[in-house]
Amino acid sequence: MIYLDNNATTRVAPEVLGAMQPYLGQVFGNPSSAHTLGREMNRAVEQSREQVASLIGSADVNEIVFTSCGSESDNWAIRGVLATQPNKKHIVTTLVEHEAVRNLCRLLESEGYEVTWLNVDHNGELQLDDLRNALRPDTALVSIMLANNETGVLFPFEEIGRIVREQSNAVYHVDGVQAVGKIPIDLKNSFVDLFALSGHKLHAPQGVGALYIRNGVSLPSMIIGGGQEQGRRAGTSAVPNIVALGAACQLAFEDDEHARIEQLRNRLEDEILKTIPNARLNGVADRSKRLPNTSNISFAYVDGQNILMHLDQAGICVSTGSACHSATHESSPTLRAMNIPYPVAQGSIRFSVGRYNTEAEIETVLSVLPGIIVQLAEMSPYQEELKV
Amino acid sequence: MMDVLAADHFFNPRNVGDADEPCFTGRAASLSCGALVRFSIQVDETQRVSQARFRATGCSFLIAAASILTEKVMGLTTAEAARIGTGATNCVAIAYDALLDAIREYSNAARDDWAGDEALICTCFFVSERTIEREIQTQGLTTVAEVTRVCNAGGGCGSCHQLIQEMLEANDLPR
Repeated sequence: MIYLDNNATTRVAPEVLGAMQPYLGQVFGNPSSAHTLGREMNRAVEQSREQVASLIGSADVNEIVFTSCGSESDNWAIRGVLATQPNKKHIVTTLVEHEAVRNLCRLLESEGYEVTWLNVDHNGELQLDDLRNALRPDTALVSIMLANNETGVLFPFEEIGRIVREQSNAVYHVDGVQAVGKIPIDLKNSFVDLFALSGHKLHAPQGVGALYIRNGVSLPSMIIGGGQEQGRRAGTSAVPNIVALGAACQLAFEDDEHARIEQLRNRLEDEILKTIPNARLNGVADRSKRLPNTSNISFAYVDGQNILMHLDQAGICVSTGSACHSATHESSPTLRAMNIPYPVAQGSIRFSVGRYNTEAEIETVLSVLPGIIVQLAEMSPYQEELKV
Repeated sequence: MMDVLAADHFFNPRNVGDADEPCFTGRAASLSCGALVRFSIQVDETQRVSQARFRATGCSFLIAAASILTEKVMGLTTAEAARIGTGATNCVAIAYDALLDAIREYSNAARDDWAGDEALICTCFFVSERTIEREIQTQGLTTVAEVTRVCNAGGGCGSCHQLIQEMLEANDLPR
């Protein structure tokens, strides 16, 4: 299998597996226990906290709280901020957030909150003046992702943070799930108050995440129980997963793979756009404004799900922007927000490269893909458009 | 997931393209899923489908359904072809709608071209009064459904059912 769906999830790194494995066997104990075994587990958790803090540039390790996943982190951040400011009923977010933020904000609208949905331009970029105009005295929360999961377009979180800090009293939450491990992040030199991340996006297993809570920002607990995580999140610490997250952060921090991954992505993207006539890039062309591993490319007038199936048959895993939920087969909210024409959005494919991809794999994809697109284009009813 | 037949038709779609001229073309689309299907058929002098082709964008199920339909309609009369997808849902229904649209175009053209001096009873499948009468008498037909089965009359919109019923009743009278 050639796995080019690393934005969906990643394979657990051998280094990470090696680090967590003892905690699934001979090394055990409850980190809250006072005896030797417990203290040893606690030490492992705290080491992991340091590793996470280092990767995202947190000033204080205690700003890191472990959770079960990115969605929990996002939900806790948003619900928590609103709970501490009951008189403020306004939220600012974007139309292109991950469902964990977007669907929660939709729900909050039905609960009486007013949400300003910032839109993006055809490149997938935010207009910062829209943000400036959206901020109000009663804005409780600004929640804006760092990297879009579908297009890889980066939002300028440092600049956004400055605007939020200077022009409002709102708390600034960043869904950083798709960015952590892929680009350098230095939270201590930003105005980010809350920052969500997820382990399985950077070669830790599924089932572990973290929330960065800047010192001075208070969040009520959402899971009530024991005093774990300094009383901020109850529930016995998932030590093997937490150790894995720490090891994954360490790996990403020390990694020398980033440049190679970017080169593979560039090769894939350049060749596809050059050789396949109906291929178009979704997202800003300037690569410094996108994640270094992601290419979202539309093959106009053919169906993305069809491409996915053919690639799958050829042993290549990608994802499509259009999701077929039994009766509906809608194009992605992100591509719709970018105003990508419908027959183009329907043919979108996301390629997301990772540390285990090789040059040979990319060449295989480049040799297989054109034939698939030609076959589907021949079947397309949009013959006139394809000839243009 | 797809069954074996559907997967085979998706990965190896049959009869992709446009039927040779003169042909009749139908289209169907879905706003909710963005699918677009074009179905084209050739019909011979016995009103049977002699060639069927499709083009489509849509999910793999839709592609498979359209491909399967092109094989199923071959050799059927247009009236039989118009009934094979009755009750289809979702993606399959979109492919079927495109086929129906093509049959409709054929029926409209056939009606416009109707050169016979006999009265047309079934305008969907252009069956004349004389044909229906002949079938009723020679085969001893007694119901509208039997008439439709034998000569297609009444197999489309249904607006001629009353006329066919009257012909059946007239034939029933003692002579």
